[in-house]
Amino acid sequence: MTRPAIARAQGKALPLALAFMGLAHLTVLRQRVKGVVFAFVEIIFLLLLPDSIGKLGQLVTLGEPQLELPVKQRGNSMFMLIDGVMTLAMIALFAVLYYISVRSALADEHRQALDGKQLSVREQFGAFANSAFHVVGLAPAVILVLFFVIVPLIFSACVAFTNYSAPDHIPPAKTVDWVGLENFERLFSGEAEWAGALTRVFVWTVVWAMLATLTCYFGGMLMAVLLQESKLRIKPFFRAVFILPYAIPVVVSMLVWRNLLNGAFGQVNQTLMAFGLIDQAIGWLSDPWLAKFAVVMINLWAGFPYFMLLTFGAMTAISPDVTEAARLDGATGFQRFRHITLPLVLYQTAPLIIISFAHNINNFGAVFFLTMGDPTVEDSTVTGAGGTDIMVSWIYKLTITLMKYNYASVLAVVIFVVLAPFAIFNFRRTKSFKEGEL
Amino acid sequence: MSRSWLRRVNSLVILAILIMVTVAVVWPILHMMSAAFAPGNNIAGLSIVPFADGFTAAHFEYLLTQTNYPRWFLNTLIVAVCTSAGTLVVASTGAYIFSRFQFAFKRQMLMSMLILEVFPSFVGMIAIYVVLYRFGALDTLWGLVLVYMAGNLPFTIWLVKSYMDNIPRALDEAARIDGASNLRVFSTIILPVSRPILTFLAVTSFAAPWMDFIFPKMVLRSPENQTLALGLFSFVTDKNNDFTNFAAGSLIVAVPFVVFFILTQKSLIASLSSGAMKE
Repeated sequence: MTRPAIARAQGKALPLALAFMGLAHLTVLRQRVKGVVFAFVEIIFLLLLPDSIGKLGQLVTLGEPQLELPVKQRGNSMFMLIDGVMTLAMIALFAVLYYISVRSALADEHRQALDGKQLSVREQFGAFANSAFHVVGLAPAVILVLFFVIVPLIFSACVAFTNYSAPDHIPPAKTVDWVGLENFERLFSGEAEWAGALTRVFVWTVVWAMLATLTCYFGGMLMAVLLQESKLRIKPFFRAVFILPYAIPVVVSMLVWRNLLNGAFGQVNQTLMAFGLIDQAIGWLSDPWLAKFAVVMINLWAGFPYFMLLTFGAMTAISPDVTEAARLDGATGFQRFRHITLPLVLYQTAPLIIISFAHNINNFGAVFFLTMGDPTVEDSTVTGAGGTDIMVSWIYKLTITLMKYNYASVLAVVIFVVLAPFAIFNFRRTKSFKEGEL
Repeated sequence: MSRSWLRRVNSLVILAILIMVTVAVVWPILHMMSAAFAPGNNIAGLSIVPFADGFTAAHFEYLLTQTNYPRWFLNTLIVAVCTSAGTLVVASTGAYIFSRFQFAFKRQMLMSMLILEVFPSFVGMIAIYVVLYRFGALDTLWGLVLVYMAGNLPFTIWLVKSYMDNIPRALDEAARIDGASNLRVFSTIILPVSRPILTFLAVTSFAAPWMDFIFPKMVLRSPENQTLALGLFSFVTDKNNDFTNFAAGSLIVAVPFVVFFILTQKSLIASLSSGAMKE
């Protein structure tokens, strides 16, 4: 094409690009490589379209009861739900690619108008390979996150609005239906036992997360400061010992503690009795309040080393000049700690308190392996929630043992809501946000 | 005079506290180690003084010959190695692209990853189960690897991207002027410079699968596909109290971890603080 031909082509790219993916590239822009790829994407999409529409239809109905068919041949409502959500994800992906193709057409048109020449096929391949680099490089990450993170999150949000639960609504024998806000009503106010359990577990989850974070944070900081202050030669020995709980996998240490704390034959009670400190066995894990206390204390055992290490890191970052100057001015050891070390360490590690709080809300291992959520309380037989269960361990029980998927999903939605401020916090504290990249 | 006396009391108090904490930290660990070598099966029969019951290697022999322990170990090792390798490849390319390229929807993608990293992936576990079923990945180790990789990605991509953002762009521009392609810049310049953060990532994503419980429990059904956490847990459920075998099995896993942590504590502190605080 000559210069006038390019000028004539101006303005045609947009309608063509909108009409069919890659059409503008194939015709007026003469970018065959890109055009073929884009057109190929749209053709695949169109071929899959009838199937997709069917799946979206099933997403709306979740299937009809097919009592006349044997169980194996009945439609499975959950597959319809997941296929529907995956189809939506695929459509979203297609929409994004469509948008990219139109943008690319406009950009190419603009560039051709500026330099007035077209790329040879060879150059096209080079340019395409270069721009394809980021598409191909990101594809695995995007696909994995889309299908294993985003789709499941949307799916579980959807399940909260269905009656997917044992015993009456487990596919494929029975179908599942949309029930609107019914689960939320029942859990929040409708059924006394469930509403009571929800309040109890929710309050304990928040209290637990606060206690767990604060005890570990200050416990770890205390040990770091004590080690730093002491002039002992065997300091490295203590330091190595204090790292041990962090190095031992949580499942192992919690299960060991679970056995040591056992009321009937655990070593804790036996040792205390041998020293004459107590007369009869204490039910560390069978009394609801003692069990809560035990969970927090054992979590301190397992969690303080992490904060101790972080405090070490923060303390080494403090310039020795500052403490030296204070020492010359006659500040005592405690004053130096109070007015120099502590504020600087607090300033550096404070964001971690918040991150750690969010982590503890979901700290399944620290609770479940120590107590399995037990001991049982009044509503446990119905709701499955024990005296030390936090939200996530309750979700686990509702899913694995009770198969009340609908209620488990409502709890997941509650966790979303609780964690949303943390997501925003996480977002605002990044350098990219502060520097305006986001 | 009084001042030096005060200092001596002070350091004695500190020493006393350190010793008390040491006892509290070491006590359960000693009991675990002693149980691993103690004769008998039940915790009720064990002495309150560690190592007072005598020594036997019977539990280790039992684990290696009578149970699927070697198989669990191998499965977990496979999952850990694949997760670590997969995470490294996908996260480092993703991070490089986010750090160095401009493209459509970049801002939105970065934002959604930050938000996603707060939500633990097992809130969607019912769905993950169905998705894996749909892909025919239920009860397979690679299905578990995919779940771990995907769950880590939002966090790890951000972590590595933040690190790569601090690598001077002049480095890659110089190479680009010499005619290096994107892939070449990535493999010969960015990757070597990012080695510290990638090592950290490799180690943490290798360590995580060893003791995860929820996903293996959901994904893996058949006995020959179990992982260590599931196997060890099965020794000490309510029905089954086989504490000494559990302790022996735990010891085998815990020892390499502890040795590694103690050997690398210096660099561990450095990477913990750079990973967590500076971002």
